[in-house]
Amino acid sequence: MAAAASGGGAGDGDRADAQENVPTYEWEDKNTKAFHVAAFGRLWREKLDPALYCYQDTEEDAEHAQLARELELSEETMEELRVICSPDSLTGGDVRTDVVPHDSSLKTVRLRKRKQDYKDSLRRDFPAKQDVFASELENLAIGRRPMDPELLVPEGEIILTVNVLYPVIFEAFKFCRHHMTLQVMGSQKLSELRDAICCVSDLQVYGEFSSTPDMAPEFISKDLYKSAFFFFEGVFYDDMRYPECTAISKSTIEWAKSHDFPTYRSAKMEETTFNDLVVKIGYPYLYCHQGDCEHVVIITDIRLAHRDDCLDKNLYPLLIYKHRMLTRKCSVCNLYISRWLTTDDHLAPMDPCLFCDMCFRTLHYDKEGNKLGHFLAYPYVDPGAFN
Amino acid sequence: MDNYIQALKADFEELLGQFQRTDSVRYENFLPIWRNLDFPSLFYGKIVPNEMRIFCRLALATAYQYFLPPYTFQIRVGGLYLLYGLYHTQLASPKEKIRIALKDWEEVMKFQQDAANAQHYDVVYILRKLLSEKSFYFAAMPKQLNYQSKKKPLRNEVCEEFRERPQRVKDLISMDTLEEVMNVQQHYEKMKAAISATPGQLDSAINFIRKDLVSQLRSTMMEYHKLEEQQSRDTVPKSGDGDNAAGEGSSEQQECSQRAQLLASIKSKSYGHVLEASKSRRHRQVEMDTSGSGTDPSQLVLFRKKKRPLSLKARTKKNLIDKVGTLKQEATEFTGPGMMEENSKENSKKKRRFRW
Ligand SMILES: [Zn+2]
Ligand SMILES: [Zn+2]
Repeated sequence: MAAAASGGGAGDGDRADAQENVPTYEWEDKNTKAFHVAAFGRLWREKLDPALYCYQDTEEDAEHAQLARELELSEETMEELRVICSPDSLTGGDVRTDVVPHDSSLKTVRLRKRKQDYKDSLRRDFPAKQDVFASELENLAIGRRPMDPELLVPEGEIILTVNVLYPVIFEAFKFCRHHMTLQVMGSQKLSELRDAICCVSDLQVYGEFSSTPDMAPEFISKDLYKSAFFFFEGVFYDDMRYPECTAISKSTIEWAKSHDFPTYRSAKMEETTFNDLVVKIGYPYLYCHQGDCEHVVIITDIRLAHRDDCLDKNLYPLLIYKHRMLTRKCSVCNLYISRWLTTDDHLAPMDPCLFCDMCFRTLHYDKEGNKLGHFLAYPYVDPGAFN
Repeated sequence: MDNYIQALKADFEELLGQFQRTDSVRYENFLPIWRNLDFPSLFYGKIVPNEMRIFCRLALATAYQYFLPPYTFQIRVGGLYLLYGLYHTQLASPKEKIRIALKDWEEVMKFQQDAANAQHYDVVYILRKLLSEKSFYFAAMPKQLNYQSKKKPLRNEVCEEFRERPQRVKDLISMDTLEEVMNVQQHYEKMKAAISATPGQLDSAINFIRKDLVSQLRSTMMEYHKLEEQQSRDTVPKSGDGDNAAGEGSSEQQECSQRAQLLASIKSKSYGHVLEASKSRRHRQVEMDTSGSGTDPSQLVLFRKKKRPLSLKARTKKNLIDKVGTLKQEATEFTGPGMMEENSKENSKKKRRFRW
């Protein structure tokens, strides 16, 4: 926790001891010790020839010439090396790569074969459910480059991978680590990540609107309750961008102080970049919004940007994985995602009951928009609405 | 996915074991083993792209370990070739990168220098090819870390057959073991004194152990270390290789080339292979020693003290409970910011589950 005290403010890296910003394990395979993100990036860039992390292709001929000079080798020797070490001889040649060979001597292949056979057997049982939960976004942005060179992610920029876990709202979520994975640039503000995290509780509308169903969208929680914070290494980073924001971490800090807990500090989310942070990779931190919607946040990776990354600044924070949730369909049409929840509803087959917007209005109001019979209606946001 | 780790390790160790038996670091000798074991088939099969990516990542991260100490130079060369092979045969597109950790970079650069000095040009060529093809992520850690408290960590066991030999002595006599021995010794003496006929004094009739065991152990170690250093100094040939314009520039450079000659001479000696004269063919020389470059005694750190960090629970206890007596109840429940169930149990409704 020693590093916690220095977390936050910019410029920490300048006086940071180089060695302590070389990430090492605190717990083998679990998390690292705390280190300063910008200082870590600087250490890498100092050690590397920029040609190794630039986005340009290295000319093979130029590289050969360079290597020949360094090793004092003749052209003839270099050519010989090129032939001997060619990656072409590594591959299996013209074989079908979509079939796992049986009778392989490799344990991994035998295991993969068993797994594949098992999956094939499943496919016959539940053809529709295949990969319902697997969602693949990563490929969409790979290697994307912006039209405007100004928007190119700078060479040597830091890319962080962040997992944001969903809070346990429903019983069904209790056993899975449902999460979304985002990539952010080191130069981005924490508030930019906050804006990219989608959580249903931000869209929740509180209140009963059976008499005025058209009014509901105006009361979205995100606009109503703007306060939020991240918690990294003993520092609360509050979102203070709007006048309505309150530092909701304040009471926690004061409580901790009055109870002789280790002291926590606070800083502003919109004034802190990821480069400024002192963090541990793999360690569970916190994002809290809507007062009590708490998400565990884990930084799983920090590295230099690579040629094959998405290189369009505008696309960051970049969503690379999102758990696909089951959606609750309208109980009338069973087709559209539910938007309304009714209780005490004589027109409904059950209590409470879910409806899509269309079915809800057709069933509960006449052509003039008058309410038919007695019921209570609450706007409903499905957790799968972001799929 | 993690269930593949053990299988991957077994396959990699089979490959590297066979490579070790060739007593060579030549890529030409690696390739037939790679092909005989049909390593390209590792990635065959229908996998959804996302899973393929994760599988490639896992294979590369697992192979990466063999490229680093404590393994011998030869195994590390095998590890490099293995990474090269996996990188080029993987079926993810674009190719999954090899993650290299900042803390390991110095080792990699030293490895390249050693290989160049010993004129293992194929080794240097392949490492440089991987680098110039941008096959690496310059990362913080060799793998992504996703805190999983419930899961039992897989013991990361070092394959003993591949280990650099001198390090075994080093591992055996660490500061920790010396301390332990000293404690046991003291305890022993106390016990003996307690049961002695003249209380408080050691009875010579039952006093069998050496008094200065620890310091003797230590000095023996130091002697061994010095001897090794001495030996390596003696094996440095007086006159440099004709092709190698040694001796120019700084003393550091001199040391470097001396080291190179040393390595080369050790290697040629231990296998008695005749050095080929043609410079153009030099990189093909079959010369290898299982101890390789890492034997450099200057690297030998004799006494390294490891401190075991406290567990999260213990730290919480130390930080919170000890200070706040009245808050014991809350404090024990506090295990970090918003920690939640991390069980990855799948739907229990599923009838048949795959059994790893
Ligand atoms: Zn939330
Ligand atoms: Zn409907």
